[in-house]
Amino acid sequence: MSEDELDPVIHAPARLRIVVTLAALPDGDNLSFTRLQDLIGLTPGNLITHLRKLDDAGYVRMEKSGSGVNGMTSVSLTREGRSALDRYSSVLRDLLDQAVRLAAVTPLGRPSASRCIVSL
Amino acid sequence: MNEDVDMKDGADLDDGAGLDAQGAAAIMQEAGERARRELRVSHPVIFIAGGVAWLLGYGAIWFSVRGQHPYQGPAPEAAVIQVVLVGFAVAIAASIISRATSGVGGLSAIQRRVSILAFASGIVAVLVLEAAIDHAGASRSVVFGVYQAAAPVLVTGVVYAVNSAVRLNWTLLGLGLWLIAVASGGAFAGPVGVWAVTALAGGLGYLLMAVLGPALDRRQ
Repeated sequence: MSEDELDPVIHAPARLRIVVTLAALPDGDNLSFTRLQDLIGLTPGNLITHLRKLDDAGYVRMEKSGSGVNGMTSVSLTREGRSALDRYSSVLRDLLDQAVRLAAVTPLGRPSASRCIVSL
Repeated sequence: MNEDVDMKDGADLDDGAGLDAQGAAAIMQEAGERARRELRVSHPVIFIAGGVAWLLGYGAIWFSVRGQHPYQGPAPEAAVIQVVLVGFAVAIAASIISRATSGVGGLSAIQRRVSILAFASGIVAVLVLEAAIDHAGASRSVVFGVYQAAAPVLVTGVVYAVNSAVRLNWTLLGLGLWLIAVASGGAFAGPVGVWAVTALAGGLGYLLMAVLGPALDRRQ
């Protein structure tokens, strides 16, 4: 198993943060663009670019309501997005398991991998 | 607030090149913890504020009615103290909830509005029923003692218990069931004693949940 098996749509620091943050919301909830931006810490332009990539993959849904001064964009994780994150976590856990096993037989192994598995 | 999205910019789109499994796990942990910390309503502070308001508010009323023969009902000053304390606790709760839920829409927001409507309706119904019981000729010890002390506690407990089913929150369920027991059991303490029971048992119930709540929530 290699890191190539990790979903490339999610496997980028900013998009991983976005998906994990949206997954913290209960099913049926959404987050305003500005609150998401506040939690992720990206510029509006960068955030929308990442969101579009996730939207194209069907992982997030963006909805605009109102216009002008009252305009608001809300973002939510779709069922496909939640499933994709579950699959991503599962592959990641297997990769970290593999790293721990390698560390057990290799003196230069990275012991922090076991801590990462626990956190997942 | 204008939350319309600027669609320009965004040229520096990063990708996963250079992100290893351990780095990804660290990002997931950090982002998940931050989201949970920022987006979840912190109940302990709300429960502490509620517990203090109940202890002192109901306590002030008990202080004003103790030793009344015949029973007359709470002194206006004590009622004002209770209203101010409850208002203070509600303001703290509203501030914490609005900070955590700012920008969060969808099902939870609708559930919150329905809960507030149900609670407000319950409290209004308690007041109307109190007037009706008084109008029907019930004694002051029943209307302004047993009923006035126990009925709002019962409504609060029922709203908490029903909300716990929607949110699957064991802390809220525990507190709701406890308040239902305090209201129904405390009513047997009579028009003076019921204020002391609701002050102590209700207030301490809130404070206990402030301590036990985080552990119960972690087990969910």
